[in-house]
Amino acid sequence: MSTELKQKKQTVSQWVKSGDPWVWLNAGAVAISVIMVLGLLLLIAVRGLGHFWPADIERGTYSLPGSEPYTLIAERVESTEVPAAQLREAGIPVDDQYDLMMRSLMKTGNRDVYGSDFRWIIDEYFTDITKPEMLFAAERHEWGNLYGYLKAVKEGGEVVAETSDLTPTDSALATWAAFEQSIDRATDIYDQIHEVEKFEIGEINHKLERLRLEQRRLELDGELTPEKLADIDAERAEQDAKYEVLQQRLIELYGQINRDTFVVQVMDGSIHEMQVAKVVRAYRPNAMGIMAKMGFYGAKVWEFLSAEPREANTEGGVFPAIFGTVMMVLLMTVLVTPFGVVAAIYLREYASQGFVTRTIRIAVNNLAGVPSIVYGVFGLGFFIYFLGSGIDQAFFPEALPSPTFGTGGLMWASITLALLTVPVVIVATEEGLSRIPRSVREGSLALGATKAETLWRVVLPMASPAIMTGVILAVARAAGEVAPLMLVGVVKLAPSLPLDGNYPYLHLDQKFMHLGFHIYDVGFQSPNVEAARPLVYATALLLVIVIATLNLAAVTIRNHLREKYKSLDM
Amino acid sequence: MSESSTHSIDISAMQRSQQALRIEDEKVCLSVKDLHLYYGEKEALKGIDMIIPEKKVTAFIGPSGCGKSTLLRCFNRMNDLVDSCRITGEINLHDTNIYEKGTDVAELRRRVGMVFQKPNPFPKSIYENVAYGLRIQGINKKRVIDETVEWALRSAALWDEVKDRLHESALGMSGGQQQRLVIARTVAVKPEVLLLDEPASALDPISTLKIEELIHELKNEFTIAIVTHNMQQAARVSDYTAFMYMGDMVEFGDTNSLFTNPTKQQTEDYITGRYG
Repeated sequence: MSTELKQKKQTVSQWVKSGDPWVWLNAGAVAISVIMVLGLLLLIAVRGLGHFWPADIERGTYSLPGSEPYTLIAERVESTEVPAAQLREAGIPVDDQYDLMMRSLMKTGNRDVYGSDFRWIIDEYFTDITKPEMLFAAERHEWGNLYGYLKAVKEGGEVVAETSDLTPTDSALATWAAFEQSIDRATDIYDQIHEVEKFEIGEINHKLERLRLEQRRLELDGELTPEKLADIDAERAEQDAKYEVLQQRLIELYGQINRDTFVVQVMDGSIHEMQVAKVVRAYRPNAMGIMAKMGFYGAKVWEFLSAEPREANTEGGVFPAIFGTVMMVLLMTVLVTPFGVVAAIYLREYASQGFVTRTIRIAVNNLAGVPSIVYGVFGLGFFIYFLGSGIDQAFFPEALPSPTFGTGGLMWASITLALLTVPVVIVATEEGLSRIPRSVREGSLALGATKAETLWRVVLPMASPAIMTGVILAVARAAGEVAPLMLVGVVKLAPSLPLDGNYPYLHLDQKFMHLGFHIYDVGFQSPNVEAARPLVYATALLLVIVIATLNLAAVTIRNHLREKYKSLDM
Repeated sequence: MSESSTHSIDISAMQRSQQALRIEDEKVCLSVKDLHLYYGEKEALKGIDMIIPEKKVTAFIGPSGCGKSTLLRCFNRMNDLVDSCRITGEINLHDTNIYEKGTDVAELRRRVGMVFQKPNPFPKSIYENVAYGLRIQGINKKRVIDETVEWALRSAALWDEVKDRLHESALGMSGGQQQRLVIARTVAVKPEVLLLDEPASALDPISTLKIEELIHELKNEFTIAIVTHNMQQAARVSDYTAFMYMGDMVEFGDTNSLFTNPTKQQTEDYITGRYG
């Protein structure tokens, strides 16, 4: 009773004095941050991951007032509610009875037939909606998705299976089975062709290019004796012979892959005949159970992670971009860590702590705040144009006028980012070094160790968790950078990975793909924005996951080191 | 050795030395001549002259800030690490002036080892802590290192306690064990002189006792200089005692005489607890 009375009497000033508002303010700030981060992740996760789910294909009649009704076969991509007035203003003659209408974006596919993949519809006029089981979707190597009814499958012009039914009758299912079989065969051959073109012919091309450079170099050095020329020619002839064999095999494979065709009826009723070889995969989402859909989903996600991009990056996977990002970050880490640590050791341990050192320290701290594009410009101007062309003149004159290191590439991108992140490592390392207790250093010195030995054997190991903190921050910053990379080596589509089976295996001079740039490219430079948008989210999610993974790895190493050297509270 | 922890002077400890010691009879290990030390403008040591006799224990006592630790750190040039520190005068280790130009400071510190107030083991295994000094000297033979580690740990009366966990982290030991490990680590490089800077001040009474016993053992092989705040400890462990006050060496002589019959009034005041 008395406490209740007391509570009632509490004034605002007492409440402020009690510290409660302060706690609420702090907790509120934390809560808002957490909600924002979770919201962001949730948004990109939902938008990105939803893309791979096989949506049902709807079939219905679309009868917009004032236009001819037609049959629409499409996947629903998204729906929004819009005021009817807005539609009227846009010139769409909607009925007066509506105030709000649902508008949906429908993916009709068949870009080769209709000219575009998507169209907006008003739900109220889309009627008689069914989801027929025999409707199928086919992903193709070009022209995007295909939606329609399968009519026939042909082998070398001969009809193997045929149906006129739009319902799952025996003949329709048999035709579908034949189609699936034919796709499997074509996919198999496609993989073989890919193997030959990418790896075997790639290897020969690589060797021929090296021979050409070798010959050119000898020519420039004036050492091209007839014997050497003969050697080179012999080897070239050998490679050419190998190439001929592969070429024959390719012709054969191409002949095989183009054998099969299929006949499809699309939504306007027209019949089209297409090559099975153009199909990546075909599926009937309306006939799939939840398990089948999940299996399909898994396959799509795996394709996204492991395959190369198709169709101007709007389809297929992003593996080269993942690889490029990770490779670049690792290379950057290898470059930045020793450099930053050595610089920090000098600043903290050897330099006299006077005005100059303080100025340098302030300058280093400020370097961390320079906009990254400035580093990109510097990388382009200094590393690529100055150093790179110098390297080309000195070491790769045979390749000129085409540049080797005189153009953007993996190495320059890594070095530019290393420069960008080195202040972070320096600051963190200095912090770590200053925390090593004097007593431990003295202990080492008192045993007859020199300062360098003390640093190397005692101080640096003890400072390693702090160094790792710096590396973590550097990785986090570098992995997310895009702007400078656009100037120093990232490209929209790299023909090959910077690490492969051809000597010298790691191609530091090669251009590479990067997830961050991929997001920008797919989202804003793509010819087919609607098709690419879900991929932007998916790639963004992937980028976050990649960075989180890299960070997590570094954090694990740091915690391990901390555990080892946890005596620091002396 | 007595376990008495009363505040009176421990008579039994002083009776330990049977015959009277005379500083003139001792072999000289370290001799200090007119040593002045300045921290910036402040003069911390004002002309010290003394000797540290070989294979004996010399204790430095005096109130806080009297310069005893500073003097101790002069013997292995630890004060070099302090930027503002300036030294004049000389300290001879046997016959070489350690402040002469071109002295190999690392080698000097190997010959004059030091143990600090707080145990400062490295974050390595027990074995590696003791082997550290050897590795610094470029000794890499496993057999030699194994033998030396065992010998050093036995010398520091630690072997029986740690022989089964040599490769565990030294940071898991108790404070007293850590301090004995640091002594073992110092002993392992076979120095001529051991400087102990309040080696037991951060330890409990039992560990303190063990350290004192250890000092008694070690003086057979090493020249020992110890700084302590604890006068009972000085009386128990040392052969010679120096009393310092405000950067001056007030009195220096054999421990027995200094505690029973000090010649200076200041010394008497201090040891009887009138100030300090």
